[in-house]
Amino acid sequence: MSEFPARAALRLVQPAPVELQPIARFCGHCGNPPTAAQPSTRVCDRCGLGLVLETVVEAAPSRGAPFLVLDTGLMICAMSAAAQRELAVDETEAVHRHVNELLVAADAEPGTRASLADVVVRAARGDGETTTIAVRPAHTFGVFFEARIAPCGPPRAALVVLH
Amino acid sequence: MRFLKTSEAAALLNVSPNTLRAWERRFGYPKPQRSPGRHRLYTYGEIASLRDALHEGLSISSAVSRAREGLTADTHSLVGALTSFELERADVAMEAALALRSLERAVEEVLLPSMDEVAKRQGLDSAPWAFAAHWGVAWLRRAQRLAPPPTRPLSVVIGDATRDDLDPDAAQVRAFELFCVRAGARILSLSARGIQGMGEALAHRDPSIVVIAGNHLPDDDVARWAYNVRLAAGPLPIALFRRGHQPPRVRTTGAQVLPTGALAAQQRLLELVEEFRAAPAAYVDPRDTASDLLPRVARNGGQSSA
Ligand SMILES: [Zn+2]
Repeated sequence: MSEFPARAALRLVQPAPVELQPIARFCGHCGNPPTAAQPSTRVCDRCGLGLVLETVVEAAPSRGAPFLVLDTGLMICAMSAAAQRELAVDETEAVHRHVNELLVAADAEPGTRASLADVVVRAARGDGETTTIAVRPAHTFGVFFEARIAPCGPPRAALVVLH
Repeated sequence: MRFLKTSEAAALLNVSPNTLRAWERRFGYPKPQRSPGRHRLYTYGEIASLRDALHEGLSISSAVSRAREGLTADTHSLVGALTSFELERADVAMEAALALRSLERAVEEVLLPSMDEVAKRQGLDSAPWAFAAHWGVAWLRRAQRLAPPPTRPLSVVIGDATRDDLDPDAAQVRAFELFCVRAGARILSLSARGIQGMGEALAHRDPSIVVIAGNHLPDDDVARWAYNVRLAAGPLPIALFRRGHQPPRVRTTGAQVLPTGALAAQQRLLELVEEFRAAPAAYVDPRDTASDLLPRVARNGGQSSA
């Protein structure tokens, strides 16, 4: 006797609908979107000083916003022109430095909110949702930013937009 | 070595020529050299490595930094080869350097710094330095032999005041000679020790300028040699190429001090010859005698007396 029912009931299993989030493109230096809808180069065709990156629309920086791009090792990979002004450091000097040399979590009690490192690493791996935490410039007290952190790329990285 | 014009380099990177020039100002990279007509010339390897780095990068700064790291890797491998006494590996390291740069830049950015590094790490009395010094000087001499024939009416007589190949100035002097030859000059390199037979040596050379290169010989010897060159070849500008000297406080007569880098010195040399041709009296005083010209040549090498 067969272990299987005489008429196997085959059903087409519908995959769970994937939520496709709209993507925004922006320049890692000036923050502007490229002029072309499908740019032929990664270099920003407006300022020529940044590479075009992608993120979800809700996380995209507004034009002229201060933001940083970090990798999974929490190293700085890019800084917008506004972030360079805000944090008083040139991108050419900041790349490959640890983010904590420029920014630290501003929470008085560690553990009360997600740590900057955890959120950045998750975002840089591409599996984080957009998260907002408080940060302050390293070695500076009394100045706070809200940092909106989300995945960006390519290649995979974390976008940290300062407000 | 394959060179690209600005438009070609820009096309390879898929950017405009203006963007490429903006990167040169902002990041100091890519760093072109100039054609005889002063046009920018980029090495293919440098542009190709930047293109790859841009493809994988998150910013121009990080891409430039990555492309530069690729370039410094050549110095590490050459230093490694020299300190392990591996001739073939040293040659291969220079081949790799030449794939990314012009010969001038490969010498200035890889060969000479690697030799300096060996000298600094191991000391000038060490076996690795002896090995590195002989290899470096031989490499530069070979490159000079392979250089194209002279293309300009420029004849340079060099008074070599270095001790021998182990003198840390020797490779700099050979590099300077090589750059002059590659700029189309005819070079006659003589020991600044000897004045015997100098007339014959200079008879068919019609020198445009005399360069005293190196710092080992006593100033009086060098001065005597320079004076004898002038006696044999007529009024000529005299230039000094020595390491560790500051830019010149120019005098109307006596020696001009060339910049310390071999390539910068070669470029200044070409300018000096042009300046001399335009106004010889400003460079050579026909009343100079051995007794007053020559010690001045020597003194001007360092702290020029006004
Ligand atoms: Zn831009």
